[in-house]
Parts: sequence; C-alpha cells; structure tokens
Amino acid sequence: MNELRKIWRVPLGLTIPAFAILLVVFGVPAIQLFLISTNAPSFSITNYHAFFEQPGNILILLQTIKVSVVTTFICLIIGYPTAYLIVNASKTASAALIVLVFIPWLTSGLVRTYAWTVILGDRGLINNVLIGIGIISTPLSLLYNRLAVYIGMVHIVLPIMILPLVSVMYGIDKSLVAAARSMGARPVLAFWRVFFPLSLPAVRSGTLLVFVVCLGFYITPQALGGLSDAMLSNFIAAQLTNSLDFGPIAAEAFILLLIAIIMLSLFGLDLSGTQSQPDSVRKSEYGWASALRTLRRQVGEFVVPLRARRWPKQLYQPVHSGRSWNTLAAIFVILVMMFLLFPGLIVIVMSFSAGAFLEFPPSGFSLKWYRSFFGDSSWTGAFWNSLQIGVMVTVLSTVTGTLAAFGLTRTSSRIRRVLMLIILTPITFPTIVVGVACYLGLVNLGLIGTKIGVVLAHSIGAIAYVVVIVAATLSNFDQRLEQAAKSMRAGPIRTFVRVTLPLIRPGIIGGAVFAFISSFDEVVVTSLVSGFSLRTLPLKMLENMNQQIDPTIAAVGALLVLMPVLWIVALYLTLWRSRRAHEAGLPLAGLADRAEVPSSAAGQRQ
Amino acid sequence: MTETSDTLQVEFRNVTKLYGAVAAVKELSLGVRRGEFLTILGPSGSGKTTALMLLAGFVAPSSGDIIISGKSVASVPSYHRDQGIVFQNYALFPHLSVRRNLEFPLEMRGMEASERATRVARMLERVHLKEFGDRMPSQLSGGQQQRVALARALIADSPILLLDEPLGALDRNLREQMQGEIKSLHCEFSKTTICVTHDQEEALTLSDRIVVMRAGEIEQIDTPEALYDRPTTRFVASFLGEANFLTDREFKIESDARTSDAMPMIRPERIRIIPPNGRLQADNGEHQFASGTIASMIYAGPLRKYEVRVGSTVVIIREHVAAGQQIFRPGDEVQLEWLRSDIRFVAS
Repeated sequence: MNELRKIWRVPLGLTIPAFAILLVVFGVPAIQLFLISTNAPSFSITNYHAFFEQPGNILILLQTIKVSVVTTFICLIIGYPTAYLIVNASKTASAALIVLVFIPWLTSGLVRTYAWTVILGDRGLINNVLIGIGIISTPLSLLYNRLAVYIGMVHIVLPIMILPLVSVMYGIDKSLVAAARSMGARPVLAFWRVFFPLSLPAVRSGTLLVFVVCLGFYITPQALGGLSDAMLSNFIAAQLTNSLDFGPIAAEAFILLLIAIIMLSLFGLDLSGTQSQPDSVRKSEYGWASALRTLRRQVGEFVVPLRARRWPKQLYQPVHSGRSWNTLAAIFVILVMMFLLFPGLIVIVMSFSAGAFLEFPPSGFSLKWYRSFFGDSSWTGAFWNSLQIGVMVTVLSTVTGTLAAFGLTRTSSRIRRVLMLIILTPITFPTIVVGVACYLGLVNLGLIGTKIGVVLAHSIGAIAYVVVIVAATLSNFDQRLEQAAKSMRAGPIRTFVRVTLPLIRPGIIGGAVFAFISSFDEVVVTSLVSGFSLRTLPLKMLENMNQQIDPTIAAVGALLVLMPVLWIVALYLTLWRSRRAHEAGLPLAGLADRAEVPSSAAGQRQ
Repeated sequence: MTETSDTLQVEFRNVTKLYGAVAAVKELSLGVRRGEFLTILGPSGSGKTTALMLLAGFVAPSSGDIIISGKSVASVPSYHRDQGIVFQNYALFPHLSVRRNLEFPLEMRGMEASERATRVARMLERVHLKEFGDRMPSQLSGGQQQRVALARALIADSPILLLDEPLGALDRNLREQMQGEIKSLHCEFSKTTICVTHDQEEALTLSDRIVVMRAGEIEQIDTPEALYDRPTTRFVASFLGEANFLTDREFKIESDARTSDAMPMIRPERIRIIPPNGRLQADNGEHQFASGTIASMIYAGPLRKYEVRVGSTVVIIREHVAAGQQIFRPGDEVQLEWLRSDIRFVAS
C-alpha cells in the first residue's frame, strides 16, 4: 500500500491507468500484429512478399496513395484561402466562421457521407433540380465514381486542414505584414514574402494530418465510390470478416502504417503546436522549403529592374482598394461554408420527409420516420447501446485522461513529448490499423462482441482527446496558484478541489464532450470489434445504408447530426458561464487557438 | 502656423478619424518641419497612435488631408509612401536573417544585389552589428533587435522616419543607451522623424518639439524646455513632470498675468524648504512664503522628495541631496519659499 502511494506521488504515476488501457487494447496487439506479419518466431517476409506479388494489391495500394494525395491537395487549395479569410475577417465574423467549421467536424462522418449519397444519387438533389429545370431528361450518374469519392472525402477532411491553419495564422503578428507594406511591398508581395512563409509550418502539419487520415479512409470510398474505387482499408476490412488467416491482414495494416510513418517522419510532424514558432520556422529550412526559397530568390532578382523602374513612378500614387475583391472573397467563404454545412442540413430536412423513398426535396412534411425509428426495437436498442457505451467511455476516458494530462504536464518536456506522441497514436494512425489492432487486443481479452470490449476500443481514442484538451488547459494554468493555496495551509487534496479543479473545469468538460462524441460517432473500429451481436447506432445505420435505402436512417442521421451540435452549445454555455464567473475562461477563439492539437488528432472522425 | 509648405515635410490639415461614432483624432492640424524630431506624447487613448497610423498609411482619414513632401497622401497606400517605420514590437521578419531583413526595403525599391550588399554591410557596421548579419532575429537581444529595426527603417534613405513607442520594450539602462543611439542617428541622417510615445522622459530627451495630445486633440505644441517650463494647461503641467497647483484657499497668489480661470502652478524643484526659525530672505517682494508640516520624506538617490501639508493641500518638493543639508522629518514644522517669477498660470 505504501509502495502504491509512492507511485502516485510521482507525476508519471498518474499516467499509469491511461497507458495501461492503451497498452492492453492497442499497444501490445500492435506489436503482436507486427510479429504475426513477419511470421514470428521464424521471421520471414513471406506475407509482405505475397502482398506485393499480386498486381491487384499494388494497384489498390497505389490507388489509396493517389486518392489520398489528390484529396489532400484539393483540401489545401480550398482550405488555405478559407483559413486566411477567416483570420482576416472581423472579430465576430471570424469567431462565427470558426464555429461553422467546427460543427461539421464534430458531426458524424458517416452521416455526412450518407448525405452525399442523397445529394448525388439518381433521385437526389442535383439530378432532381437539373431534371426539374429541364436541362437533362435522364439522371446523371454522379454517385459510385471517383469524383463522388473526392467530393465526400474533401468534405469530411476539410475542417482538419482549416483548423490548424487558422490556429497558426492567428499567431502571425499582423504588424509584420504592415511592416512589409511600409517598406514598399504591395499587398500580394507582402503576403507572399512574409505571411506565407510564416504559415508554412501549419501547411505542413495540416497537409500531413489530412494525408494520413485519408490513407485510413474506409466508409466514404465504400459508400460513394464504385467497385474500382476501393482503398486498402476496404480491402483489409473485407479480409478481416472473411478470413481467419491473420498474417496477410497484419502485413497489409503495417504497409499502410509504414506509409503514414514515412510521411510523418519525412516531413516531421510537429505536434508541439505553435508555441515555438521561430524555431519551427527555422526547422523548415531544409529540403523542399529551402529549395523553394532559393528558387524564389532567383526569380526575385529577375524583377529587380522592373521594380526599380516602377518605384519612382508609383511613389505617392493613390490606390483605391477594390471592393470587387472583397465581394469575391465573401462569395468564396460562403461557398466553402455551404459545402461544409449543406449535407448535414439536407439530412435533417429529409428526416421530416413524407415520401416513401429517399428523395430530395422531400414531397411533404411528416414525423413518420421518427415514429418508425422509435417504434423499431432494433433501432432503439442500438440507440441505447450507443448511449450506454458513450457514457461509459466518457467516464473512463475523462478520469484516466485527466490524470494522465496532470502527470504529463508535470514531467520534463522531453519525456512529455514522447509520451504524448504515444498516447496520440490511436487518433493519428490510420483508423483501419487501429481497428485491426483493437480487434486482436479484444480477441486476447475474450471481449469481442461485448459492450466492455467496445468501451475499451473507443476509450483509447477518447483518452487521447481528453489528454490533448486537458493538457492544453493545464499549460495555461498558473502553478503558482497552487503554491499560493498551499501557503495558506490548504492540503494537496483541498488545493486540488478548491483551486485547480474549478480553474481547469472547462478543459475537463470539453474533453468529456469530445470523448462522448468520438465514441457516439465511431463506426470503423466498432464494425471490426462488435462481432455479430452488438449493434451501435452508427453501425446499424451503416448496415442499413448498404442494404436498403430507407428514410428511417435519415431520422437516425438527423439525431446523430443534432447531438454534437447540442453538445457544443452546452459546452459553449458552460465555458461562457465560467468565463463570466471568473473572467478567465476559454473564449471561443481560445478554443480555436487550441484547435491545432485536437484537430491534429482528428483521425477517427470519418 | 507660420511655416510655408516648402519647409514642411509633413502636414496634417484638419484630419479627423472616426471609429464608428468615436473620433480617435479630431480636426488635427499639425506641420512637421524638414529634419525635425517631433514627438507626439499622450496617454493611451489620446489618439497618438491613430495619428501615426494615418501618417504611415495603415488607416485612411475620415476627413481632412495629409500632405507629405507637398503631395496629398490621403488615399496613397503605405507601400507607395517612402518612409521608414520602427514598430513597437520591432516587427522584424522572424523567418529572415538580419541581413535579409535589412535588404527587404531595398529589394522592394528594385536595387541591384551588389548595391544592396554594400548598403547592408555599411548599415550593419553603423549600428555595431557587423557580425550579426546572418543571425535570425530571435537570436538577438532586445537592444540588438531594436538596432536592427532602426537600421531597417533607415537603410532605404527614406525622407521620413516614424517611431512607434521605440523604447517601450527595453529595460531602463538599455533605454537610456538607445536614446543616445537614436539621437545620434537622427543627427547623422537628419531624417524628419515623428515619434509616438507615452514616456515623457523619452519625449523630453529626444525631441526638437513635442505635441501633447489628449482625447484626439492637440493640447500644446512646443520645445521640450518650453513645454516643461511654461505649460499652458493643467493637463500638460501634470502629464509632463510633477506639478503643485496652489489653491486660492491656502495661497492667495495674485498676479497681473492671471486670468479668471487660470490656476497658479509651481514645479516641485522650484520650492525651497527652510526651518521655521531659519533665516528668511529679506522680503524684496520677489519671494513668497507658506508654512506647513512635513508629511513624508522619501530618499531617492540624488533627490529627496518631501510632501508638505499646507492647510488641506499637500505640496511636493524635490531637493537635490547636498553636503551639510538639513534633513527634515515627518512632523517637523517648516517654511516654504519660492520665487514669485517661478509661478506659472495654467488653464484648468
């Protein structure tokens, strides 16, 4: 007992429960998986060899990489200007826009994928509109092709690109751009020479995150793509349900993981966030960034004579700022926001449809699909399962995650970095890899198809969210307050309850909300570990999406969309109240500042 | 204003800047002579920063006009104005080395690479940073960053230099050193310099003239000496240095120069404390007296600061510490003595 007490005194002791869960459910099975893939103990590469021997497999691998690269690129092209405009909008507008980006990120990816089937389907919104106004007479086949996959994937990962960009761009001192202009740089040049290079670290981390998340995509390509659009995840999942031979599956998972790790280490993902901006700027002075800079300098020398001629001519020339440019920017932002939010809205509207099929716009208003949802015990049972699992995950991960966050913030920064990276693996690794490892872990424990099993599988991701959010709150927490309390003769427990806890409560509540949402929406890992008996709401929705097109799932989707929105409103009210209470809470902008870290961990949300 | 437009480098003509319904700057008219060091001094919210932003071209005036080098610049953006600015936090580009920072304004003016290199080398030498050209700004101390910022503002040889709270981020010793540096750079390059600060000491030591602003309007413009010695308003008198306002109840100061709403004021160092039984000057009408009680005494290095209670008024007195001087303790009865000519009348 005394020994145990000593362990708790050491900050790292507090991280034990969280790491215990992580190791048992994910860590050990991941190592096991690697050993299986190499046929341990005989160690051979036959499984890898077998994979690469099949041209079809290589095709799928290349296709996975290609789809991920293209999606990432589109996200960057859309996300960068959006983030830039958000940061440069007025204070209220920019806070509102950040919320609008957050909402889709918080709502179930499954539902948003489903929404695209409704928009792009043969009897969907676009075809109905086009037929309605007489442009076409037969429906275009917009669904089940590569384009639909790209639309759906970009829609889902775009917030993961925008949020880190916004967070870093907020940190860029505006007077730097002003300084560049005062030295004669025109707005475009000031942007290109000063703002853009300073935003590169975010471009790098956003791009990497989006790419790695895309690698693990599973549901969207399956639901929106054709047979030829399958990705490696689909391939792995299909094998997991059909075959008992774990060797090839393990090898495939590790090939996917290897690509992710190679990308991460090649471009050096910096999860430490924005605190050390000058350093991270310096760090980027190798590789392509440096080559880019040299190239830019060379090009710069070409325009020297041009500038020399232009300078005296333009001196003291008035310029009237273009209003058309502002209008263009506003239209762009509105379009992006519509792209992000419209699918969710469609699902909500459609859930009130009176028709017998999925069609948009709905032919009338009725609540019959809600009635059919609440009248069907298989749906309500799934709903209860989800709710119970969500609550258990929330409790488990909030307690262990908060303890771990406490322990981590009180250890040396070197150990913290490493442990943080480890604890974030469930949400930075490709989802399917996490799923396969969890499957193995629960097989070890004999918990496949049980609620406890699903709770454990969900908890590893939920703990990561809690740790990230609580640690961010704690890093703003002034430890001298605790010393002050102790100097006033408050014991450690009373200090915690009376001083520390009230101040970090917003962070803990935020972490709990994220934990619940992440569990409530989870479907990829669940589909692998739930066996045949246990159904959660998203899982049942996924099955019905595949089997029948029944508007009941629109009602389910609407519930899944509204739930996180209600949560975020509750969360915001709590934060807002606590800010009023002691004028030091997290404003919404603060939430966005911290967006980098949670969003850097956004893996699971497809 | 008697200056003609050829001696004026910068001119504000009835400039107003509204933010919503609030005027940050109201009907500002001001001329800055060529080569002059002018400081705009005021508390926060006085409109001094807005005045500088208007001049820099970062905000446009709501009404009125700004003339630089004889040209109206009201709608000229900052990048078409030829001026060097030292920003409050220096705004050194964190991703560029010191050398690249200094090259930036030259590049924007289309200067050849070789010429740029010579200029940068010369400027680095001038600000004693010869060996620091390849450092990044984050690797420099506060004082060094400040010098890079000054060098970057001066290197393109723009006729106008704007300083925004240039020494605000430095500690006291460094600040005095940098004041000397700025002064010598101004003498050497003789740029028309406009500085914005809330630090009166900075304003007094650096400026040819000081503009005191209050609530968006000019309170007084004068040389530092005249401003300290002959403030025209109560606000200026108390914002710049310490001032004793001598109320009629206790002091009854009469003068021909006094108008009805004027208030007599005297600086703390113009008053002498003498013991009650000490020798009094033979009263030839040049001196005035009051008697009071020492309320407190603070020793501050070269100075000793007394607070003396005269009736219900507390008078502040500063004395240079000197050998053989009598030191008074709280509770001592004393006499105060000053020259009638040291009294100033300020508008309240």
